[in-house]
Amino acid sequence: MGSSEDRVVAVIMVGGPTKGTRFRPLSLNIPKPLFPLAGQPMVHHPIYACRRIPNLAQVYLIGFYEEREFALYVSAISNELRVPVRYLREDKPHGSAGGLYSFRDYIMEDSPSYIFLLNCDVCCSFPLPEMLDAHKGYGGMGTILVSKVSAESANQFGELVADPVTKELLHYTEKPETFVSELINCGVYVFTPNIFASIEDVFMQRRGKAELRRVTSFEALQSATKAIPADYVRLDQDILSPLAGKKEFYTYETLDFWEQIKTPGMSLKCSALYLHQFRYTSPHLLASEHSAKRATIIGDVYIHPSAKIHPTAKIGPNVSISANARIGAGVRLISCIILDDVEVLENAVVIHSIVGWKSSIGKWSRVQGEGDYNAKLGSTILGEFGFCRR
Amino acid sequence: MILHQIEALKDVGVTEVVLAINYQPEVMLNFLKEFETKLDIKITCSQETEPLGTAGPLALARDHLIDGSGEPFFVLNSDVISEYPFEELIQFHRSHGGEATIMVTKVDEPSKYGVVVMEEETGKVERFVEKPKIFVGNKINAGIYLLNPSVLDRIQLRPTSIEKEVFPQIAADEKLFAMVLPGFWMDIGQPRDYITGLRLYLTSLRKKSPSKLATGSHMVGNVLVHESAVIGEGCLIGPDVAIGPGCVVESGVRLSRCTVMQGARIKKHACISSSIIGWHSTVGQWARVENMTILGEDVHVCDEVYSNGGVVLPHKEIKSSILKPEIVM
Repeated sequence: MGSSEDRVVAVIMVGGPTKGTRFRPLSLNIPKPLFPLAGQPMVHHPIYACRRIPNLAQVYLIGFYEEREFALYVSAISNELRVPVRYLREDKPHGSAGGLYSFRDYIMEDSPSYIFLLNCDVCCSFPLPEMLDAHKGYGGMGTILVSKVSAESANQFGELVADPVTKELLHYTEKPETFVSELINCGVYVFTPNIFASIEDVFMQRRGKAELRRVTSFEALQSATKAIPADYVRLDQDILSPLAGKKEFYTYETLDFWEQIKTPGMSLKCSALYLHQFRYTSPHLLASEHSAKRATIIGDVYIHPSAKIHPTAKIGPNVSISANARIGAGVRLISCIILDDVEVLENAVVIHSIVGWKSSIGKWSRVQGEGDYNAKLGSTILGEFGFCRR
Repeated sequence: MILHQIEALKDVGVTEVVLAINYQPEVMLNFLKEFETKLDIKITCSQETEPLGTAGPLALARDHLIDGSGEPFFVLNSDVISEYPFEELIQFHRSHGGEATIMVTKVDEPSKYGVVVMEEETGKVERFVEKPKIFVGNKINAGIYLLNPSVLDRIQLRPTSIEKEVFPQIAADEKLFAMVLPGFWMDIGQPRDYITGLRLYLTSLRKKSPSKLATGSHMVGNVLVHESAVIGEGCLIGPDVAIGPGCVVESGVRLSRCTVMQGARIKKHACISSSIIGWHSTVGQWARVENMTILGEDVHVCDEVYSNGGVVLPHKEIKSSILKPEIVM
């Protein structure tokens, strides 16, 4: 099957500025993948999880942001992980499978036996080595990470049906109107290189149909489906769905946490999940009584080394404080993200909120969200330069 | 509140005060016992067994009010605060020789109240108009009267309204006069008006006895602090704050436009504005209490809780935030 020399390449889809509009106002200043969760950029968490994959040769970030937005980050993380990380820019959106296909030459450069595909805005424990072992056992073209959710919320995602014994993917539907299954697609996959052949097949079929359409242009005008450009291939609808039940794709279920980071409110929840995970994976990152210069710390808290915290402040649980922030005397922070250069003055209170870069919170102010992460307006978000007076 | 009135009466030579009440006279009397000796003034109660309106209680207390001397007696509404210019009231009453003098105050929105229509130069009252639809005048009844004993002959011992039944009769006989109240006036029956009244009272105190107000780098505007209250470091108190006996305000607290009643404790870093904190209550660390929150006796607001206009009945604990004004039972 596989020798211990099997190389692996990981690809992380990061999207682009036209996507992720629900993340505004925070994404107006910074690409969403670089927004900090638990003190690290969002994309850091899947990249860091890739470290555990044996024989990892390369990590690619694919998206359509400008290269310079990622240049600094990519060189820093390559040094830190001792694995080459590279950002590849799509000239236009190709869909998740189309994007993968268009960079197949780069991906296959190291002749990997396995290719991971992860979505940047997924928040989970990324059990990648376990997934790879399962994939090798199944012997299929791809293995999909899946999770069980409540029946009511399942239709927000791609729903799958899997064989309970063989774990084969039997059926796949994207955001169905009626209930299909509680198992959903987590947006993390591992493939063998013949995935590219399947994607190419889809291109061929599309071109064929396009030629047919030229013959009957009347039919083209009548087309009820959304006109999709020939080179836009979606992994879910165009690859997984048609190939379900053909012993090509399998599933691996995670019982750990899984969330999508679509809105700023969700970033608060996901930051808390990652902070909690640090207890097991990177406890040195969490603040303790000593590192925070005697301020009171409750629960999981991340404090950047350059941040200044007054000893009478009380921080936590679930708080992340970024570089150069200044937290004044008697301040109380609960379930919040404090971004770079923020100043929180004496006796202020911040609860369930995100305070944007360079904002200032006045003495005795209170900034409070309701704490309903799923509500569209459940958290208070102060964008850049927000100014809050008592 | 009532002590302000009793002290002002004592200052003009009143020797006996009758409290017309309909509920728990023991509570009032016990409280006032110590002031009877301190102020050297006699305090008695006249208790209604059924509600007698605004005039009936005077008939009930007739025996206390008529001592044979023929001297006039004061009648005060206890919900009202003002500067109590009783000396001027006595002078005016003697000068016009009428049967009754009422004090009136100028208001911006007279149609909310009963308006007293009077001759400007003499002060003679022509008539009363209740909640007038068109402008007839801007003076309303301030709830402070000086009456001759003969007025009692006009009042029967039954539910009677002094504004609707008694005064109009006296006005018709051209024996009723009105004097405009100088200085501030406030009916503090409603908590919101209590906070405004506090501000007016403190402003007046600043003019008359500024030494009674608190000073210091952590005081802003007019602040009254009882000598037995304790205030921590790093606080910012004021404007328009009154802190009662035995209160403890811990460090880092912000208070503005509020009253903290006897024995209450405000914990560190809390922030209170436009609210009333009841006797022996506690406001927790980092709590925020604002927008006409009223805490009854022995109410405890937990740490980090927010109250926006909560009205909390006594002996309650508030564990979760009150996001919009509501009554908590």
